[in-house]
Amino acid sequence: MNVRLITSFGFAVLRLSTPLVFAALSAAICEKAGLFNMAAESMMLWGALIGVIVSGATHSALIGFLAAMAAGAVTGMLIWVATVKGKADLMLAQIAINLASSGGTIFLLFALTGEKSNSAVAIKSLALPKINIPGISAIPVVGKILSGQNILTYGAVVAAIVLSIFVFKSKTGHHIRAVGENPHAAESVGISVPKVYFLAWTIAGVLGGIGGAFMSMGYLTSFTKDMVAGRGYIGLCASSMVGGSPIGAMLCALIFGVADAVSNQLQLTNAPADLVLMMPYIVTIVVLVLLSVVKHGRATRKVKAKS
Amino acid sequence: MNNAKKIETWFDLFRILVAVLLAYVIALIILGIISDDPLYVIGQFITGPFSTFRRFGNILTTMIPIMFTGVCMCFVYAINKFNLVGEGAVNLGGCLSACVAIALSDKVPAWLLLIIVLVVGALAGMACSLIPALADQLFHADVCVVSLMMNYILLYITSYILKYRIKDPGSSITASYKWASSLKLGNLIPGTSVHFGFLIAIACVVIAAILFYKMSFGYRMRVVGMNPVFAKYIGMPVMATIILAQVIGGAFAGIGGTVQVIGMFQSYQWTSLTGYGFDGLMIAVLARKNPAFVPLSAFLIAYIRTGADIVSRTTDIPPEFVSIIQGIIIVLVAAEMFLSRFKSKLIFNSAKKALAQKEGKA
Repeated sequence: MNVRLITSFGFAVLRLSTPLVFAALSAAICEKAGLFNMAAESMMLWGALIGVIVSGATHSALIGFLAAMAAGAVTGMLIWVATVKGKADLMLAQIAINLASSGGTIFLLFALTGEKSNSAVAIKSLALPKINIPGISAIPVVGKILSGQNILTYGAVVAAIVLSIFVFKSKTGHHIRAVGENPHAAESVGISVPKVYFLAWTIAGVLGGIGGAFMSMGYLTSFTKDMVAGRGYIGLCASSMVGGSPIGAMLCALIFGVADAVSNQLQLTNAPADLVLMMPYIVTIVVLVLLSVVKHGRATRKVKAKS
Repeated sequence: MNNAKKIETWFDLFRILVAVLLAYVIALIILGIISDDPLYVIGQFITGPFSTFRRFGNILTTMIPIMFTGVCMCFVYAINKFNLVGEGAVNLGGCLSACVAIALSDKVPAWLLLIIVLVVGALAGMACSLIPALADQLFHADVCVVSLMMNYILLYITSYILKYRIKDPGSSITASYKWASSLKLGNLIPGTSVHFGFLIAIACVVIAAILFYKMSFGYRMRVVGMNPVFAKYIGMPVMATIILAQVIGGAFAGIGGTVQVIGMFQSYQWTSLTGYGFDGLMIAVLARKNPAFVPLSAFLIAYIRTGADIVSRTTDIPPEFVSIIQGIIIVLVAAEMFLSRFKSKLIFNSAKKALAQKEGKA
């Protein structure tokens, strides 16, 4: 492989991983609270659409970005309302939201612009800036890979670190994990479980919304129908592979990003890209099974030791 | 006590009706707002599916695949495992059946080939759902995540088979070689697109209903679904029941894929997931996990879909707005608190009346 190929490949990996990292973080915070976030898909879709609409209307990428975060958060809150207030089954509610969002985003786009699948012509939306890092960009190969990415690619790393500190070091993070371990026990010591769930869904929504904003305001510069295309589910898997640790989820998302980049590269040649695209999913299942075996084995040993 | 139970059963039905109506009304309002000619659009949406015989046939045709996946999800939902592999099972069932159909097209008589492809579809579906079920039961990996991953794996496998093994290079679209036209399921109702797959679907519903309510397996399944700890305590084979229920469900989804492929097309053309698996979940929810109600709820969904399809063809409104209706219906039906105050009141009043009667007698 020549140097140019390596740099372009590395650059693509980071670019393709960014939305996956946000989806994984969105799933991770829920997993820490003992919830199962299948709806990152919807959060991202709404974030992507609202980001485009608002940035087009206000001519400000920043306001569009904030609106995307808000849109994701509202999606998260909706799930909270349905499951906590309405006592709907968590899985069913999320599948319903995913269904409704896939159609709802297309519908809103149509209602506003008359377009059915792409916002590019109707809405002049803005993209989030790319950033050149002064010191690093001078280094050969590595600099070309790390520098010049979209601001949200760096934001993803920051988000993972901040989320990790929040979950493991802060008091609220402690509460979230306590509820995730055992909601009844947490409730008995005075932690409000519904409040914690609300917080978890809102944070998850914001992260999902940012991921969506990257899709439509960085990865592409317009909203297209069903553009998230399963990335929310991949994030969910990345997170469940590591049990919801934010840094771990980010690294797992990177693996999926590599697979994505490899298959993109292979699509240019004549190799069967489908089989390459399949690999990360197989890896997920294998790792998930192995981790569950280890975790379960540890749990049963603990029970045996006690009795 | 019996009275309360009766109220609950009726109330369930009432709640589903209210949820459907509410979702429908919301859809009408949305349609009304965005359309230039709301009355015409709403009229098309409501009465369109019944306006011609052909369109009514479209409802029945739309019902066929989602009845299979609906039955599939009844099994999965009955044991409270969210194995969503029905989605991928449809693809794999259809794809492998297509492979077999292409290979054996001129070598065996059509009736035998039909049986063979149905068996292939069923086996493919069973294999699909067995993997998440085993991962869940033996290794405690989350069945939902594993099945979602399986769906993508199955999609890529089938699309690989289509593109590299059975693709017809002479075709302008991505499609497989054609199989003998004698295999294509015949027309059931002349003048419509309804094919014999409809009867196969109804047969599957009947088989599923018998399994559910006339055989000890069905009873076991329902007990395990309601309370696995209790089931284990009274000596039921919980793990075997859970795995078997998912495998049987997968078989129905696989057959669904087969029937859809040989009923609608003469070559295999799917390059994406069909969405039938998720539709199946919704139908199972509406049918209250009872396979006997699957045709009814499938009809309802198919009616809404057909209406949306007509609207999108006669106006420029995209048909995707149906999925909003579907989402609202699922959430409302799934939300226990929806109308629950009303239900408690009904039960309270009936109990009070019963008490008053008792006291009156005494």
